[in-house]
Amino acid sequence: MEDVQYKMMLCDGVSCIHNQSKELQSAIESELDKSGIRDAVSIHLSGCLGMCNKGPILIVNPGYTIYGGVGSEDVPEIVQSHLVEGKPVARLVIEEDHLYNRFFRIFGDVDFFGKQMRITLRNCGVIDPENIDDYLSVRGYEALAKVLCDMTPEQVVAEVKKSGLRGRGGAGFPTGLKWGFTAAQKADEKYVICNADEGDPGAFMDRSAIEGDPHTVIEGIIIGGYAVGATKGIVYIRAEYPLAIKRLEKAIEDAREHGFLGKDILGTDFSFDVEIRLGAGAFVCGEETALIHSIEGARGMPRPRPPYPSVSGLFGKPTLINNVETWANIPVIILDGGEWLSSIGTETSKGTKVFALAGKVHNTGLVEVPMGTTLREIVYDIGGGIPNGKKFKAVQTGGPSGGCLPEEYLDTQIDYESLAKAGSIMGSGGMIVIDEESCMVSLARFFIEFTQDESCGKCTPCREGTKRMLEILTRIVEGKGKAGDIEKLERLGSMIKKSSLCGLGQSAPNPVLSTIKNFREEYEEHIEQKKCRAGQCVALLSYVVNDECVGCGACKRICPTGAIEGTRKEKHLILDEKCIRCGQCYDVCKFEAINKV
Amino acid sequence: MVTPLEIIRKKRAEAVNRIVSKGYLSTIRVYVGMATCEIAAGSKEVMEVFRQAIANGLTDVYLSQKGCAGRCNLEPTVEVIEEGKIPVKYGRVTPEKAREIVERHLKKGEVITEWAI
Repeated sequence: MEDVQYKMMLCDGVSCIHNQSKELQSAIESELDKSGIRDAVSIHLSGCLGMCNKGPILIVNPGYTIYGGVGSEDVPEIVQSHLVEGKPVARLVIEEDHLYNRFFRIFGDVDFFGKQMRITLRNCGVIDPENIDDYLSVRGYEALAKVLCDMTPEQVVAEVKKSGLRGRGGAGFPTGLKWGFTAAQKADEKYVICNADEGDPGAFMDRSAIEGDPHTVIEGIIIGGYAVGATKGIVYIRAEYPLAIKRLEKAIEDAREHGFLGKDILGTDFSFDVEIRLGAGAFVCGEETALIHSIEGARGMPRPRPPYPSVSGLFGKPTLINNVETWANIPVIILDGGEWLSSIGTETSKGTKVFALAGKVHNTGLVEVPMGTTLREIVYDIGGGIPNGKKFKAVQTGGPSGGCLPEEYLDTQIDYESLAKAGSIMGSGGMIVIDEESCMVSLARFFIEFTQDESCGKCTPCREGTKRMLEILTRIVEGKGKAGDIEKLERLGSMIKKSSLCGLGQSAPNPVLSTIKNFREEYEEHIEQKKCRAGQCVALLSYVVNDECVGCGACKRICPTGAIEGTRKEKHLILDEKCIRCGQCYDVCKFEAINKV
Repeated sequence: MVTPLEIIRKKRAEAVNRIVSKGYLSTIRVYVGMATCEIAAGSKEVMEVFRQAIANGLTDVYLSQKGCAGRCNLEPTVEVIEEGKIPVKYGRVTPEKAREIVERHLKKGEVITEWAI
């Protein structure tokens, strides 16, 4: 951390660039030089700050002073009056009270957070999640009160439609439409469900959201219940998230005590309650019809749609089912307006998306970015690039249902359509960065092994097809691949995609198909030359001692299978047939005398 | 009739009062990340250090937990906020580092820049 007195954030969002934020930056820099306080102030470019109509936006911290419509001619005054004398320039200050921008007020960590825009995670890492007072103090449950006071259920649905919000579970179905379908049904009882069955390997967005701010999700669910005419809400969450469950339980209890849940909420005649159902950790239960079966007490298996849950869902009643992140958007849409949310993002995808950034990047973590941010900005600006000087190879989005995008797709904008066009999917938000040391065939095999294991077994393409794909991939990484295997994988993959019953099967071949499309040469090397360029497939790897060996014997002592021979002070030898490729000799050698070939 | 919005405004005012009565307006506020990931990285022990320090007479400090802000590789995180100053976030805090933060930052006002994010 630099030793600075002021941190300035300059909006670098698309519309602020039109409003000349770059010129502004150089104007500020030269003015700081002139005043001799360059070292005491740091300037950071941020992603869209959501105040585009008043841009360019400049925020000065500490103090969280927001300047709007700043021109180069205003810079000397700001620098002199605010930064030198400590008096903010009142005529340029704008008052903005969007829910989300609370976040910037207290976060000094602008390198990581600068390009982010936190709407659904606005309270995560800011308030005490176990204290409802903290949530109330940040306008908590005000959206609910507003809805109950001034809005009819139809108006709520219309507001959500206006926002352009789409399902954050991955498929991207327009949320407002879904609400409208459920609301239009006539039934004696309706349900709303929060899908918190987060199952993608490496994904932890929903867990963090619930652990960091459970009330936002609950408030969203209650509003959803009001909008569609339901009286009961259910949160389906996996049992392996004990802390999230504990905080959710506490939040529900506190909300009941305050009269936000239960009979006659806030003195109106609207009654609604929420209960928690625990999932046993089956991946397929994230699919909505399987999830509903699981809540009903049946085996978690999908069924064909239609009828969609909005017509016939839980216990045959109309059911509205949305993902955690979708629910967390609702209070913001109500308080800041659907129109505001729709001003953020791209033509077809509005608002923000949370990603669990993992793999080979400096800053792994939870990030929330406006739609339209590029993959490059996430990997390099927020993620800080690839550690240890390694080369970027691919970024995997969408977990076991998604695909791998190589370097040429790094400038792809994040929205549902662009990612699909590039050959991956938005998914629920897993994002794994892969460097040159990872083998794409092994990666594809890992995901197929996962989906094969999690396939419920109901339909043949998914049950048998993924098994066959796994067999082929296993033999390729073991060096037993045959000519024609790649074509067989492609054929099988497209067949499984077309003929599977549910989303699990329909998307299971994606990791394989996308790696074949983008990294076909790696598959060919494995099959034809029995070579793994990443050095990850142990069967295709041998360890050999080179002439640097001084005969210290360290490798011989550590080898668990006695595969190394040699007398002291003489070059040693690794016996290939005894070697199990554990790599311990490679790690222990101080003379770089062992090569992987 | 009292409208829901009026009820919520009253509740918010009460909530703010309760938070203030717990010492929110202290000179320094300390937040320790306490999500599953942070706890796994050792934040419970870190929290305990700050609790002990307050039990042993450290005053004018408001201590609270928070959820995960997303800095996975730097957890556990501890945030020290003083009104009118740029917030300081410490990463990879251990109980030993926490004790030093108490001694140097909380008691003497020295920002330990090499541990800050």
